[in-house]
Amino acid sequence: MKPLEKLLKKPGSHLPARPAAPPGQVPGPGSLPAPRRQSLSRPAASPEEPPGPAGPVPGGEGRWLELRPPEVPLRSPEEPSPGGDRDRDRERDREPPSPEPPPAARCCCGCGCAPAAPAPPERLLTALLDRLPAAEHGKGCGAESLLDDIVLTHSLFLPTERFLQQLHQHFVLAAGSPPRWEEGAGLQRKRAVLAVLLHFLETYKGLLQEEESAGKVIKELYLLIMKDTSLYHDLEDEILKLHQLVETVELKVADETPPPNKQVKPLFRHFRRIDSCLQTRVAFRGSDEIFCRVYLPDHSYVTIRSRLSASVQDILASVTEKLQYSEEQSTREDALILVTMASSGEKAVLQPSEECVFTTLGINSHLFACTRDTFDSLVPLPEEIQVVPGDTEIHRVEPEDVANHLTAFHWELFRCIHELEFVDYVFHGERGRRETANLELLLQRCSEVQHWVGTELLLCEGLGKRAHLLKKLIKIAAICKQNQDMLSFYAIVIGLNNAAVSRLRLTWEKLPGKFKNLFRKFENLTDPCRNHKTYREVLAKMKPPLIPFVPLILKDLTFLHEGSKTLLDGLVNVEKLHCIAEKVRTVRKYRSRPLCLELEASPAQLQTKAYVRQLRVIDNQNLLFELSYKLEPGSQ
Amino acid sequence: MPEQSNDYRVVVFGAAGVGKSSLVLRFVRGTFRETYIPTIEDTYRQVINCDKSICTLQITDTTGSHQFPAMQRLSISKGHAFILVYSVTNRQSMEDLHPIFDQICQIKGDIQKIPIMLVGNKSDDTQRELDASEGQALASKWKCAFMETSAKMNYNVQELFQELLNLEQRRTISLQVDGKKSKQQKKKDKLQGKCSVM
Repeated sequence: MKPLEKLLKKPGSHLPARPAAPPGQVPGPGSLPAPRRQSLSRPAASPEEPPGPAGPVPGGEGRWLELRPPEVPLRSPEEPSPGGDRDRDRERDREPPSPEPPPAARCCCGCGCAPAAPAPPERLLTALLDRLPAAEHGKGCGAESLLDDIVLTHSLFLPTERFLQQLHQHFVLAAGSPPRWEEGAGLQRKRAVLAVLLHFLETYKGLLQEEESAGKVIKELYLLIMKDTSLYHDLEDEILKLHQLVETVELKVADETPPPNKQVKPLFRHFRRIDSCLQTRVAFRGSDEIFCRVYLPDHSYVTIRSRLSASVQDILASVTEKLQYSEEQSTREDALILVTMASSGEKAVLQPSEECVFTTLGINSHLFACTRDTFDSLVPLPEEIQVVPGDTEIHRVEPEDVANHLTAFHWELFRCIHELEFVDYVFHGERGRRETANLELLLQRCSEVQHWVGTELLLCEGLGKRAHLLKKLIKIAAICKQNQDMLSFYAIVIGLNNAAVSRLRLTWEKLPGKFKNLFRKFENLTDPCRNHKTYREVLAKMKPPLIPFVPLILKDLTFLHEGSKTLLDGLVNVEKLHCIAEKVRTVRKYRSRPLCLELEASPAQLQTKAYVRQLRVIDNQNLLFELSYKLEPGSQ
Repeated sequence: MPEQSNDYRVVVFGAAGVGKSSLVLRFVRGTFRETYIPTIEDTYRQVINCDKSICTLQITDTTGSHQFPAMQRLSISKGHAFILVYSVTNRQSMEDLHPIFDQICQIKGDIQKIPIMLVGNKSDDTQRELDASEGQALASKWKCAFMETSAKMNYNVQELFQELLNLEQRRTISLQVDGKKSKQQKKKDKLQGKCSVM
């Protein structure tokens, strides 16, 4: 078996300190809204390669950052192209920008046209609108790419509402009388605005329901457009499309009646035994209501109903009310605070202004409400695992079934993630605030799968049985890879490399040679050397649908973010936005075709499905080591 | 909820609004509130004396609506003792207990050794629809214990839980940490002053 020294250094193999904060938490320029808590469910991914010429990276302590920049054709330019001469840029902005090819850059789509020149945030939209008419005549594919780039990433330098207001403004201006606009230019501008709006709606879709103020602006612009008869002649199709899109995104407007009572969604980790775990997952939105448990120091708990995006303050108010605490109490010293506690006993206090904390909890972490002076004496809940060794479902099922159900489930979770969540997750804390719950849930799940393989193995007492299970798990990984479910594949391999598992020398030795080789191949595939070169190559050969190893995508985005500034001298770094948008487009590509897995609905299959969707895992590394030493005391 | 072998689990069932939470909170925290907050599922833990050692009384307050049948079944299968609450001001709430009782019998099988208490709450309310005799009659039919209570007036609340535990023959359980106190003394003591909650 491949030596594991370097892997042993990774976060998962010792008592976890607070996971390294990714750079998204590092305060950017200017004042921040309350920083969102770091999600504790980050898997122990990407063990660092041996220190090489990685180059200094600004900020962050993350191990992820010690790796070299991505080798795929993504640039992380340190400065915007072409030059930083402000006067020159300003002058350029007045007339339609004639892009001069900057020194090192080239358009990512390979057609040779140059990317847009950097512009101040307020003018970037203008630059886009100027370029769009050219796209219609077949020259300047850069404009369409720029459109997608800007729609995906504008929130990094301009609040969405402001962006839409500008768009609205442009339309109004374009309706001005002739002296202002040349013949046909006004109409052209209106068409460009319409194109941007359509693309915006198509990209945002259901997310707009969460943004009331943006929704209002869109509605106004929509009405303006619909009333504009000058457009009907040429743009009938687009107008129709606009109408349909506005209908489907169900924009809320003040005078309309509120939508019917949405059903409360259980956040499954707390309500594991409900039969609804078999239902197909739908995306969570910030306004969704969920049930969640909040524990007290003595391990009593109350179940509250709350918006997913609720602030810590709201949650505490609900708990206080439930426990019939008096109102005065909240202002005294014995006011309640909200604490997260991991199964290892690690705990942290949440700030009252933090929001959407439910999905940031680690797998077996829980929320506790206590007073400040009882904080120190808080102890974690006893392990939930019924230690009935070696008798779980996994021993009874076929590897194919497990693998297929894993893939099916992860596909559902993957599809629930909105494209913008990828952008928001990495850049969160710097601009605006949007919920990234679905992405967090997938990350949590990834961590869960990693711990699952270790848990099942370490609860299996007989050596022969355990070796058999190990073989089965490797088979499952192989089938997942065949399914192009690289998330499950990676998670299982990382899980099997957890130090508590990899030290079970006797168990590993009992593996048939064929499986030893197979696992070695899998380790090579997941080797983080040269920034996961092997994995990236394999991934590049796959055709959609496929499920990528999402933590790596986030790492790339993080690196892109850290590698260059968004704004330099007040100008937007368009290339950086482009690179980020390209990453998001790869996700789009992966999901561009439906995944078809033939799964029967027989009772046995449903049992397996339920098992896969409700994994019970131990994430307390100390406990895993304990179990490991009990099974094989060994020497190391 | 993680199970511990020395937990004694009491589950409270009943229709929505009969006063389950009020009874539990009156017992556990000594407080009462008029405002109605529908429960989803809450569990309160309290250290008590059991077989001359310490164990934990775990009281699960359930939902009155029928949102989570699976959770209900689970609570029944894990529970040691049950409190079935109706409101004396609402005849329907007594009817609503029948399916719950049936389910307990079904899941537990032999209920003779299982402490079950039928409780008519809101005894302070003058707008009665049910007399004590009717409650007693049902309890006789079900072969379980019966009492009327008022969480609002703090009437019979302590007694309810103490009596329930007295019914438990498999173990000797008392509410006081110090088992030597007299019955009278026990009735006088306020719970929150005596038991140490972790």
